[in-house]
Amino acid sequence: MSLIEIKYLSAGYTKTPVLKDISLTVSEGEAVMIGGPNGAGKTTLLRVMAALLPFEGEMTLEDKDASHMKRRDIASLIALMPQTQEMYFSYTVSQAVMLGRYVRMRRGLYGPSAEDKETVDRVMNDCGVYELRHRLLSELSGGQLQRALLARTFAQQTPVVLLDEPGNNLDIKFRAELTEYLETWMEGTTEYNGKKIKNTLAGVFHDLGEAARLCRRGVFVKDGKIVSDMDLKESFNSKVLNEVYDFDVISYKRTESAFWNS
Amino acid sequence: MENTAEKKNINKSKAGRRAGMILSVIACFVILVICIRAGSVYISLKDLASIVASHVTGKPLPGEVAPMMDSIFWTIRMPRALVAFLVGGCLAVSGAVMQALLQNPLASSYTMGVSSGACLGAAIVLVSGISLPFILPVTSFAAGLITVVIVLAFTAAIDKMSSNTTVILIGMVFSLFVTGIMNFLATLYSDHYKRLWLWMMGSFSARNWTHVAIVLPVAVICTLIVIFFTRELDIMTFGEEQSKAMGVETRKVKTILIIVSSILTGVSVSVAGVIGFVDLVAPHVVRKLFGPEHRVLIPMSFVYGGAFMALCDLIARTVLSPQEIPIGAVTALIGAPFFAYVFFAGRKKG
Repeated sequence: MSLIEIKYLSAGYTKTPVLKDISLTVSEGEAVMIGGPNGAGKTTLLRVMAALLPFEGEMTLEDKDASHMKRRDIASLIALMPQTQEMYFSYTVSQAVMLGRYVRMRRGLYGPSAEDKETVDRVMNDCGVYELRHRLLSELSGGQLQRALLARTFAQQTPVVLLDEPGNNLDIKFRAELTEYLETWMEGTTEYNGKKIKNTLAGVFHDLGEAARLCRRGVFVKDGKIVSDMDLKESFNSKVLNEVYDFDVISYKRTESAFWNS
Repeated sequence: MENTAEKKNINKSKAGRRAGMILSVIACFVILVICIRAGSVYISLKDLASIVASHVTGKPLPGEVAPMMDSIFWTIRMPRALVAFLVGGCLAVSGAVMQALLQNPLASSYTMGVSSGACLGAAIVLVSGISLPFILPVTSFAAGLITVVIVLAFTAAIDKMSSNTTVILIGMVFSLFVTGIMNFLATLYSDHYKRLWLWMMGSFSARNWTHVAIVLPVAVICTLIVIFFTRELDIMTFGEEQSKAMGVETRKVKTILIIVSSILTGVSVSVAGVIGFVDLVAPHVVRKLFGPEHRVLIPMSFVYGGAFMALCDLIARTVLSPQEIPIGAVTALIGAPFFAYVFFAGRKKG
């Protein structure tokens, strides 16, 4: 079943669109890597997939017209982990992660339920920020903040998770743990509207090797267009990568691995 | 550093935070009593209590309390202190809301031009001599709302990212511009000059129970509406895009809250004139003491803003007694250095 379906869509921040005439379908259980050079429109594509930008064209989320959906319904299906940014007010890690429960919490003036608290503790533990739960976001290092935001994203408990360079600022150990965590998560399902939906992932990854461990499919963006959408491993073996990045990626990666093998 | 340690402690233990809140409410009540009692005429606590009791229960005053005391304390000082408290609370809550919506601890109705817009609205009603029931608060609110809409539209037109600094700067520009128009009006209608000038600087002089009756219901209803949106306010401090991604109908929430906080400011301006800095100082202090969560921040801002305003009014009417200092001058003398401190301390971090 397709969860996100985009047809002939254009979107951007001003009158000149960043993305032009994009078509993309993400089905249940898929893991999609979004790649491309700097400024190609990868982040914009993620924002579009989370229905955060005004667009022209067609977009359906789980067979419903995205332009008529409520934020609450979209956010129960799709969570987006943004790139880190400046924090103005000093929430603690656990307060911030709890905010991710917004769509799941009982509405009104009730406090968090036992389930909310349990989920928050679990995702903080999974993302390695449980020990930091009483620290203020403003006191965290870039990598710690990244993990706190990741925890908040998973606290939302959506079947679809979109990640914007989740490995940013993370040291190698946490990057490896993150990949492992995502691999495990991909094997599970999440309930949405009373149905169990296989967990689905799309993300902008800079490290092609890490992406390849998680994602079968690679979507490459260049100059606001999707230039390649195929099996990720296959695209490694073709000339696609070199064309997308205007650079001999494959030789570079081979030299790199030769260095490690020697 | 002691300060941050203390902050963390309060943030950490719920019991500590609750105790802090209860203490704050008690301290606020004590401040109100002090504000009512202080002045050239002395009253014992017992006499004050019997005056209040006689009005609440409708029984006649006990013989030992002079009728003059009743008129000084029940008719003059009590409503004045209460209006100051309510106005301070309203302004602090509206400041806290603006700060969350614009993700900027320096935002407030004052820096956003709402106050000066509301003041201009009130001045136009005053000068034109139209008198209809509730025309003053309603016009203040409408003019304040129009100003904030213009400021936001202008910001969006100039800076497509609507960055926070741009909003604040444009708000300041509009604020000064509208104040210019006010000065112009004040000179043009010189027979209203004194009244308009008082309005621009703010005053609680001669405020009575009618003013309490105007502000109280607005304060209670608007603050309750804001409290209903505390979860959304928490999320909105992370920016509009993240709020949408987390499931908040940002446009709807933002519209409702900007209207509510303009009503709070508008009603304050219509009874007391323009008073700056309370909306900036109170939420900031509360955040330092209790953390940024809005379900605590909003009610505590009301308490701290109200107490701060009542104290400022006490200073305004006693320091140069029998002359009064405009309340806006008192809050600015305390608030302006504070504003600078917050701005530069925030900068060092970034």
